[in-house]
Amino acid sequence: RLMTIERQNKQVNDLKMKALSLDQKHEEDEEIDPLDPQEIYDLIAHISDPEHPLSLGQLAVVNLADIEVHENDNKTGISEVIVKITPTITHCSLATLLGLGIRVRLDRCLPPRYRKTILLKEGSHQSENQVNKQLNDKERVAAACENDQLLGVVSKMLSTCK
Amino acid sequence: MTLSLVKSLKLHDQKVWSIDVSRGLLATSSSDRKIKLVNLKHQKFNVIEELDDSAHKKTVRSVAWRPHSHILAAGSFDSTISIWGKEENADYIDGELDTELLAIIEGHDNEVKSVAWSHDGFFLASCSRDKSVWIWEADEAGEEFECISVLQEHSQDVKHVVWHPSQALLASSSYDDTVRIWREHDDDWECAAVLAGHEGTVWCSDFAKSEGPNVRLCSASDDGTVRIWRYVEEDPDNEYEQIWEFEAVLPAVHTRSIYSVSWGSDGRIASVGSDGKVVVYKEVRKGSWEVQEEVSECHGVYEVNVVKWAEIDGRTVLVTGGDDGCTNIWTCN
Repeated sequence: RLMTIERQNKQVNDLKMKALSLDQKHEEDEEIDPLDPQEIYDLIAHISDPEHPLSLGQLAVVNLADIEVHENDNKTGISEVIVKITPTITHCSLATLLGLGIRVRLDRCLPPRYRKTILLKEGSHQSENQVNKQLNDKERVAAACENDQLLGVVSKMLSTCK
Repeated sequence: MTLSLVKSLKLHDQKVWSIDVSRGLLATSSSDRKIKLVNLKHQKFNVIEELDDSAHKKTVRSVAWRPHSHILAAGSFDSTISIWGKEENADYIDGELDTELLAIIEGHDNEVKSVAWSHDGFFLASCSRDKSVWIWEADEAGEEFECISVLQEHSQDVKHVVWHPSQALLASSSYDDTVRIWREHDDDWECAAVLAGHEGTVWCSDFAKSEGPNVRLCSASDDGTVRIWRYVEEDPDNEYEQIWEFEAVLPAVHTRSIYSVSWGSDGRIASVGSDGKVVVYKEVRKGSWEVQEEVSECHGVYEVNVVKWAEIDGRTVLVTGGDDGCTNIWTCN
């Protein structure tokens, strides 16, 4: 009887090990699979606008043509994703919030080797530089993500993502 | 000459934002709201204590050991500063510690981004997203803090504060792209100089160590450069002000924001940043610098938030902290 339990334990352990190595393999596969702009677009196009019942894709705030992916020559190395957004109006007070929603979405979905640069499209906003600086300030973004009220709004925006 | 990894310590579940080393004792802080104390002496690298994590409700952004004591200050995004200490006669290295919360300092309107003690441990400086730098006078026990000055001349978030290693001189770095130098005057504190030239947020600065009467400062920025600034003289036209000049820009190695810079006691400078590199620079002639060492992906593919020189067992080491939750110890001979 003791033998049986031991054997069962061994079988369970073997299965665990197998599952673990499959997980690892899966992760490795993900790591070396390069991204293309379409995949980034699909991740962020369904984010809801905080004011309209429409998505950022429908409002053309995010556009496939304004997404760049710069893969490292070393396939597992640090790479960059650049997303340029076009707010619906040039004095849009929610531009920072739109950018934050996109950044949070990409932070959650992309492997850590991707650096994300979120910018307002040139000429699309009267406070372009100011908003760009804020959207790419790591510390401000981290603090914003600990602000419950702000995080609530962002979560709502992201709730329509698949 | 090589930079080699001695130890990687996975101390936190989330980003490591800040590290400080004093007398072989490492303190680290993280987005996971925890502060850990680790013994670096005799290659032990054992976690001695995890401080009570109910003290802060948000990211602990900055930690700093008070000189000549076992008192630690920690600044948090929850807008408060915590002060920690222990019985004077307890042995930090071998025994179980019972570090206690000595004080919680309130005053800033929002996120505290950096805390720093003056060389004599007399003053604590703190800075915040509320654009201000506060100077606190501390009692010996680290229990009473009196705010003696609130400096509000930066036009944006203040990211970092650091004191001169032997003078009552403070430098603050800001999102407004400048560094300001502050000093005491008639029981109040005045801005002695504004160092302008960076083309992006200044994340960090550090004073040169043991340069006698010469005072120099290095600063690291979002613009991807590290700059050196030099104190020239007291301003003959403006009382209380100093003349500083831009002396050099270090060789361009980083490709993204530089988050932290540290000026070692042997004169070398180290920097880290978003590109995952740690770079060591050496001054070959006064004002002329070369890259001595460069290591890519020093925390894997993660960003590196902080670098500090430290002395452990009589050897000089570099300590780095990254978004991978790790603290890495490097020798640099």
